[in-house]
Amino acid sequence: MKLVGIVGSNAEVSYNRILLKYIKKHFSHLFDLEILEIKDIPLFNQSDDQTNSAPVQKLSQKILQADGVIIATPEHNHTIPASLKSVLEWLSFKIHPLENKPVMIVGASYYDQGSSRAQLHLRQILDAPGVNAIVLPGNEFLLGKVKEAFDEQENLKEKRTVDFLGSCLEKFVQFITLVSAVEGPKKPVLEPEDLYATGKIATTIEGVDKEADDWLEQAAALVDAVEGNTYVKLDRGLLTVDQLNYFLASMPMELTYADSNNQFLYYNHTKPASEMLAARVPGQVGNPLSKCHPEKVHKGVEWVLQQLRSGTMDAFRVNVPTHGPDKYVVHNYQALHDKAGNYMGVNEYILDFKPIVDWYLAQTGQKLIGDVDAVSSATVKDYHGDDVDAGTSASVKA
Amino acid sequence: MNKLIGLVGTNSDHSTNRKLLQYIQKHFADKAEIEILEIKDLPIFDKPANMQVPDSAKALAAKIEAADGVIISTPEYDHAVPASLMSALSWLSYGIYPFVDKPVMITGASYGVLGSSRAQAHLRQILDAPELKARIMPSSEFLLSHSLQAFDADNNLKNPDQVQELEGLFEDFLSFINIMKLLSHTHAAHVKAAENFSWENN
Repeated sequence: MKLVGIVGSNAEVSYNRILLKYIKKHFSHLFDLEILEIKDIPLFNQSDDQTNSAPVQKLSQKILQADGVIIATPEHNHTIPASLKSVLEWLSFKIHPLENKPVMIVGASYYDQGSSRAQLHLRQILDAPGVNAIVLPGNEFLLGKVKEAFDEQENLKEKRTVDFLGSCLEKFVQFITLVSAVEGPKKPVLEPEDLYATGKIATTIEGVDKEADDWLEQAAALVDAVEGNTYVKLDRGLLTVDQLNYFLASMPMELTYADSNNQFLYYNHTKPASEMLAARVPGQVGNPLSKCHPEKVHKGVEWVLQQLRSGTMDAFRVNVPTHGPDKYVVHNYQALHDKAGNYMGVNEYILDFKPIVDWYLAQTGQKLIGDVDAVSSATVKDYHGDDVDAGTSASVKA
Repeated sequence: MNKLIGLVGTNSDHSTNRKLLQYIQKHFADKAEIEILEIKDLPIFDKPANMQVPDSAKALAAKIEAADGVIISTPEYDHAVPASLMSALSWLSYGIYPFVDKPVMITGASYGVLGSSRAQAHLRQILDAPELKARIMPSSEFLLSHSLQAFDADNNLKNPDQVQELEGLFEDFLSFINIMKLLSHTHAAHVKAAENFSWENN
């Protein structure tokens, strides 16, 4: 069972964070708990919709994919912290990831009360029509005098407290099973991907046919792109365009850059297509991703892009076994982000892991025994590589 | 004449609570001098360890401190007070105590039928917390439901019954302020209690 635990405070120091960490560690036999922070979520403002910002979307996706949610709330001014309320407002404004989601409330506080008022308010809020969570009744876990509650290893000291917490969590697990039987599972709905790159982002160069063989030459002329020994200031460094090219060409892998509009913009062109692990030809640059893949694998491509754009996965890897036993070729789809965490596109890097593993074994004097997958771990169960067509990257079956 | 603050309980650009306060300001101009204050420029409260309160919150606190009373008008989001108002009240009770013993009247407007009833109850509980300790006018509630339809083209309340109700409450609030001025003996102790309240470190 997969649960997420939301730290209900944006403060640096939080005993509620410690409580969730303890639950994660101590009750790992009951469920996997992923702890989520709320400090990057902006203050809710009806007039400044940031539903689509990276932190809100990420939190929402994690909640949608979880079987249940544990919220740990402190108490500020007799109620829940403004930061937690703000999160719940975003999650009930344009999107409703908590709808029909089983939720359990816990809370820690410095005083005897242990966040009792905050927990009652939180129940009332979670019950509001826009939120519509299904909150575990009873089983109030109030951890008062929290400064004395944990030992130096951040474990709860009192056995009675641990036992009660355990019984509440066990009931929550049963509750989740019960609720999912009533409600049925709710699959996260991810936005469809525009593989034809018909949209436009800030960097899209308009007025050039994306499918033209000389898209690069035309587009470069249009924006007056620099080349050769012109300097480009980078974070952190200063290189000429030539130096950048030497650098990227020296990477021991095939690199491909597609932007967030699903337009293929770059690859490190070092070899003719026939010698590449995944063939690419110069004329492909500028193409929409739909053109880089045969139509029968569009669904798989879309699935990967949806995972990366939504933040469900940061990287997706797949082994393409068609290169024979002397290679272990992995296609890595790595999400690109700007400093604010917004999705900027995908870096597909294709790499033969075999020489790396061989080198490691030679250096350490170790040998592979039996299960080869145990060493590489690059294969992903349920998803396997399709055949590699000329001019396409590996596709993925969803 | 009493000096009052009308505190808009949301950071939204469009708010019928702001409209309600503007109406109160205009309608009772001969009875009190009301200044309308916004919370939308305050950052989100994050309980900084150094206890630094932003200047925008300090400015708000100074005005509240100097006023005879405060009218807070709150919308209702998810059965409760908006996060932006909760955040503002957290700043206004974080090492500064402008609300201690301050007479407060609560009003609220909502698009729906309930007129922010739950948010108002919630707000009373918040204002009663040790570091806020406002003097909330008892047994009074002004719930403006269907607030999008409540005002005419000149931004006046259409329904004469509601106007009458508001006039009664406002008179009561002015009396309440005067009575509260008499109850000044415990003020020093209340401020001290607020200062001594150490934050739950959680």
